[in-house]
Amino acid sequence: MFDQTIIRVCLIIGSLVTAIYVLMRVRRAKVQIEDTIFWLLFSVVLLVLAIFPGIAYWASDLLGFQSPINFVYIVIIFLLLAKQFFLSIRISQMDSRLRILTEQVALDREKVEREKLDL
Amino acid sequence: MSKLLIVIPAYNEEANIERVVNDLVTNYPQYDYVVVNDGSRDHTAAICRANGYRLIDLPVNLGLAGAFQTGLRYAAENGYDCAIQLDADGQHKPEYIAAMLEELEAGADIVIGSRFLTVKKPKTLRMLGSYIISWSIRLTTGRAICDPTSGMRLFNRAMVEEFAQNLNYGPEPDTISYLIKNGAVVKEVQVEMGERVAGQSYLTLYKSAQYMVKMSISILLIQWFRKRDTETPYPERSL
Repeated sequence: MFDQTIIRVCLIIGSLVTAIYVLMRVRRAKVQIEDTIFWLLFSVVLLVLAIFPGIAYWASDLLGFQSPINFVYIVIIFLLLAKQFFLSIRISQMDSRLRILTEQVALDREKVEREKLDL
Repeated sequence: MSKLLIVIPAYNEEANIERVVNDLVTNYPQYDYVVVNDGSRDHTAAICRANGYRLIDLPVNLGLAGAFQTGLRYAAENGYDCAIQLDADGQHKPEYIAAMLEELEAGADIVIGSRFLTVKKPKTLRMLGSYIISWSIRLTTGRAICDPTSGMRLFNRAMVEEFAQNLNYGPEPDTISYLIKNGAVVKEVQVEMGERVAGQSYLTLYKSAQYMVKMSISILLIQWFRKRDTETPYPERSL
């Protein structure tokens, strides 16, 4: 049996710190709101799991885990992997946009210089 | 009379753009307009060039917020007194601009062209989102906004500058809710909107649901924590 209280307290503190930090970034206009929604939902999930450990017990029974904390780990790992996946898609899209933008700037600059020479 | 810029964000609107802009050019020559092509994959930009429309051509797709912000930066840099968003699909009818301008000159910061000010909002699934957003704004600001998702919004000079310079100022209901909470005067004027004649909408069912979730969380939760700082708005981005 794992020491439930300490883990629950850690989960609660962790989720609250995450939420507060994200909201502070919003306050200072350092992050776009759409990028914060995942982290707010994530901290809500952690908070719910910490406050109602019955969910973890029920789910680990259902799925045959040895200990309810494993269910908590699985949930966290899954959410972070999903986030990682979508982040890497976004990076790849940003890469291609950056490439197009750079090409566009260079092409435009070439055009400007050519026009200067023509005059 | 104040100098108005009509911002027309266009994404894959080759089927509609000519009709919309020609209507403006022939019937409303007193207003200036600019088409912001949001990296369309069709012939939107080519059509605009061929017709000699005033065009800002974004080399990549930024989404509605980015396209509209481009238009507002153009308005801010070129000394316009106010700017309105007009969709390129012909939903928004320019005949209502005059009434909206009057309301702006009477002291409003933002005037929304509202479909449901005097007309009852239909209780359909399509309007469910609109109801939820109206309700969220009502709950958080105490003000009734009958048609929060209407894209036809008119902004005065101060708002144009604020929208042009800052992060998290998308032309969406959550920004409206945040500004109301911070003392902006938002008025509505009854308008009628047409149906999209041709082409594809930005919004699919999945995207609508995603949009609703984002707007609800944003209005009900996140907007409380934002700080409005009009004196030093995001210095590294300022014009």
